[in-house]
Amino acid sequence: MSEVLAKDTILSYIGSEIESKASSVSIRAINERGREAVEKTAFPTKKDEDWRFINLKSITKNSFVSVNDAGVKDAGDISGHYLPEALNTRLVFVNGVYNETLSSVDGLPKGVIVGNLSEYADHETVKEYLGTITNYEDDVFAPFNDAVFSDGTFIYVPEETTVEAPIHILNVFTDAEKPFFATPRLLFVGEMYSKATIIEEHIGLSNNAYLNVPVTEFKLFSGAHVHHARIQRDSKTASHVSRPIAMLDGHAEYHSYTICLGAKLFRNDPRVIQNAEEVDFTVDGLVLIDGEQIADTHSIMDHRFAHGRSHQLHKCVINDEAHSIFNGKIFVAKDAQKIDSFQENRNLLLSDDGKVNTKPQLEIFADDVLCSHGATIGQLSDEEVFYLHSRGLTEQKSRELLVYAFALESVESMEVESVEKLLLDEVIKYTTRD
Amino acid sequence: MSEETKALESMIGEEYKYGFTTDVEYEEFPKGINEDIIRELSARKEEPEWMLEFRLKSYRAWREMEEPDWFNATYKKPDFENLLYYSAPKKKPKLDSMDEVDPKIRETYEKLGIPLEEQKMLSGVAVDAVFDSVSVFTSFKEKLAEAGVIFCSISEAIREYPELVKKYIGSVVPARDNFYAALNSAVFSDGSFCFIPKNTKCPMELSTYFRINNMESGQFERTLIVAEEGASVSYLEGCTAPMYDENQLHAAVVELVALDDADIKYSTIQNWYSGDEEGKGGIYNFVTKRGICKGKNSKISWTQLETGSAVTLKYPSVILQGDNSIGEFYSVAVTTKKQQADTGTKMIHLGKNTRSTIISKGISAGQSNNSYRGEVKVGKNAKGAKNYSVCDSMLIGQECGAHTFPYISSENASSSVEHEATTSRVGEEQIFYLMQRGISEQDAISMIINGFVKDVLKELPLEFAVEANKLLDVKLEGSVG
Repeated sequence: MSEVLAKDTILSYIGSEIESKASSVSIRAINERGREAVEKTAFPTKKDEDWRFINLKSITKNSFVSVNDAGVKDAGDISGHYLPEALNTRLVFVNGVYNETLSSVDGLPKGVIVGNLSEYADHETVKEYLGTITNYEDDVFAPFNDAVFSDGTFIYVPEETTVEAPIHILNVFTDAEKPFFATPRLLFVGEMYSKATIIEEHIGLSNNAYLNVPVTEFKLFSGAHVHHARIQRDSKTASHVSRPIAMLDGHAEYHSYTICLGAKLFRNDPRVIQNAEEVDFTVDGLVLIDGEQIADTHSIMDHRFAHGRSHQLHKCVINDEAHSIFNGKIFVAKDAQKIDSFQENRNLLLSDDGKVNTKPQLEIFADDVLCSHGATIGQLSDEEVFYLHSRGLTEQKSRELLVYAFALESVESMEVESVEKLLLDEVIKYTTRD
Repeated sequence: MSEETKALESMIGEEYKYGFTTDVEYEEFPKGINEDIIRELSARKEEPEWMLEFRLKSYRAWREMEEPDWFNATYKKPDFENLLYYSAPKKKPKLDSMDEVDPKIRETYEKLGIPLEEQKMLSGVAVDAVFDSVSVFTSFKEKLAEAGVIFCSISEAIREYPELVKKYIGSVVPARDNFYAALNSAVFSDGSFCFIPKNTKCPMELSTYFRINNMESGQFERTLIVAEEGASVSYLEGCTAPMYDENQLHAAVVELVALDDADIKYSTIQNWYSGDEEGKGGIYNFVTKRGICKGKNSKISWTQLETGSAVTLKYPSVILQGDNSIGEFYSVAVTTKKQQADTGTKMIHLGKNTRSTIISKGISAGQSNNSYRGEVKVGKNAKGAKNYSVCDSMLIGQECGAHTFPYISSENASSSVEHEATTSRVGEEQIFYLMQRGISEQDAISMIINGFVKDVLKELPLEFAVEANKLLDVKLEGSVG
C-alpha cells in the first residue's frame, strides 16, 4: 500500500490509505486526532518563517512507504551499540518496531517502568499524559507521528525514586529495498523528586534513505530531575524531523543535550515549557556536519512562570557544503519575573561553500528579568593555529585539534562515561580529514 | 545649537511651507489613487516625461503587491483610497500669542528647552521676521553653492538637475522593493536632494525639519543623497519638538549613494505624535531607508533616535558593495504608552573586507512593544568581512514587551559575525546606590538610562545630542516607579 510524504502534503496519503494499526483504544484516539490535524495543515514551504532557510528536498523528492512494505533487512548483531552502563536498562527498536529479544529491563528499581507503549497503553499515566504534552502550532510532523504511531517507549519513575543506571533507548534503522518512514515515540513521566538519565539514540546501520519522525514527551513533576541525551547518528542519506518537548513543574530540573552527527536533513524543534515557579533547564546542542548535510534547530525556551533559569549552548561546526540553521527563541510571559535565561549559538564555518543562518530571538513581556543571547559565526583563529603549528604540529593537525577543542565543551556535559567516550570518537572521526 | 545651524534648520523648514503655499489653488485635489491622479500630480509639479514614467511604473508594481504583515505590530491598516496624494497644506489658524497654545504643548516645549521663537513657529504663532527672512537662507545657499554642493528640494532637483536625479533615483531602493516604497515612488510629494561633488567636504551640516501638516494627507517624502568620490557630508533629519496630528501614514524613502572614499552620516530624531494614553491616533511611520557603499573605502553611518509615532517600521540598511567599505547603525528606540516599534537594520556584505557595526538600544515603558529586527548577511565573495552587533533592551514597567529578531547568515569561511543581545530592567541596586548618594529616584533613573544609551547618543551631532538627552527625560518622565 501507501507511499507517504511524496511531493505535496502528507495528508492525501495517510488520510486515505493508512489505517491505524494500534490495538489500544487510547492510542487509536491519538491516531485519529493526528490525522485530523494533518488534514488541516499545509506542508511547510520556504514562505513559512520557520522553514525559510531549510531545503526540504530530501523529504519532498522522495516517497516513503511504511516499514512493512519496505522489505527491511535484518538488524544483525547490534550489541556493539549497547552501553555497558545500561546493559539491563535498555529498550531496542528496529526501524521503529519494538524488539523484545534485544531489549533488557531487568535492572530497574521497584516501581519504575521502562517498557513499550502498546503494552502499557491502558496504564493510568499513559492514558493521562500520552499525546497531551506536544503542542506544535501549524506543524505537520508531530501530527504525522500522532497519526501513525502504534508503539513506542514508556518510562515511569515513581516518587522519590532514583534510577542509577542510564536508560538507553536504542533506535536502529536497517537496510531496506524501499525508503520507509518510522515514527518513534517516547513518553516519560517523572513523579515528585524522582531522578533519571535517558540516552535516546538513533543509529542508521546502513546507508539508506529513510524518514525518521520521533516525538518525545517529558512530564516532570515537582523536584523531578532528568538528564536527557539525544544522539542522532542516522544514515547520511536519511531525513530526521524531531519533536522533543518537556513540561516542567516547580523545582524540576531538565537538562537536554542533542548531538547531531548523521542524517542528510536534520530538523529538530526542542521545546521546554516552564509550567510552575522555580525550574532549571538546559537545551544544549552540538552539530557536526559536512558533505551536503543540513541541520536545522528551532528551539523554544518558554518561561510561563516566575523564577526560572535556563541555559542554551548550541555549537555547530560546518564543513564542505553543509548548511546549519539555528533559531532559538526565549519567551518570557507577562508576570514571569526573575527569569535568568542565557542562549549562545557559536558557529565554526570551515569551508567557503558552507552556509550558516542563525536567528537567536528574545520575546520578553516581564520587566524584572535577565535574558541575553549571543551568536557568532567565525573560523579558527590564525594565531591559535600558528601557536600549535609552532609547537611542532602540522597545520592540518593543529586545525583538527582546535575543532576538537571547540566540540569538546558540549561532549563533556554527558553524564555517562561510555557515551562521552563514544562521542569523543565521533568528534575525532569528524575532525580527522584526509 | 549654533546660531548658524539653527537658522538654517528653521529656514529649511520654512522653505518647505513656501513650496506648498504657492500651490494653494490645487487644494481641491480628489482623494484616492489611480493613474490619472498620478499624471495630474506629475503635471502640476511640471515633471519631465521620465519622472512620470517612473511614477506610473511604480504605481503598477504597487497595485500588484500585498500589504506586508510580518512585523511585530498590530494596527488598523490605512485606507489608501481615502488619502489625499497631493495637497497643499490648509493654512493653520494663525495665533496671536503663545498664550493661545495648548498649555500641555507649551509645557513640553519648556522641558525640551526650545527657544521661544522656535516654539512660536512650531505651534503656528506668527513668527519674527528674522526667522522668516529669505535672505538668511539665501546666504547659506550661496555658501553651499561655492563648495559646489547641491542642496534643494527633490522637485526642484528634478527640474534643475534631471540627469543627476535620473541616474540615482530608485537605484538603491527600486520601485518594486516593497509595498510602501512602491507607493512612495508612485506618489512622492517632495523631499530633499543633496549632491556633494568629488573631493568635497560639505562645509556645514545639512538639516531639514520634517512636517506633517495636513490632516488625512499621507506624507510621502523622498530623499536622495549622493556623495561622489572622496566627498563627505553629515545630514540631520527631524527635530525633537513633538508634532501633534491625527492618525497619518508616513511612508518616506531615503536613498544614499556613496562612491569611492565617500562618507555619509545620516542622523535622525523622530518625535512625531504617538497617540494618546489609550493608543488612539498617532502617526504610522513606515519608512524605507537604505544606503549603498558603491565605491571602495566608502562609509555610510545611520544614527537614529526614535521616540515618536504610534507604529514605527523602519530598517535603515547599508549595502556594502565596495571593497573595504564600512556600514554603521546606531539606534535608540523608545516606546511608551501604547506605541509599537519594529525597527532595526540590514547590513548586506558583498565586497571584500567590508565591516559593519550595529549598536541598538531599545527602551520600552508603559504598555508598549519594542522590537529589534535586523539582518546581517555575508555573501560568498565578502572575504574577510566583519560584523559586530549589540542589541540591548531595557524594560520599564510590567506591561511592556521587548523583542529581538536578528537574522544572521554567512556564506564564506573568512568572515566573522558577532551578535549579542540582552534584556533587563533598571537595576534596583543601581538606583539604590545613586539614591543613597542623595540623588532623587527620578534623577537616578534618568542617569542610568542616559548611561544605557550613551554609546548611541554620542554619535549624534553635538547640538542634537543635547536635545536628545532632554527628549529622553521628558519622554520617560513618570513611566518609572
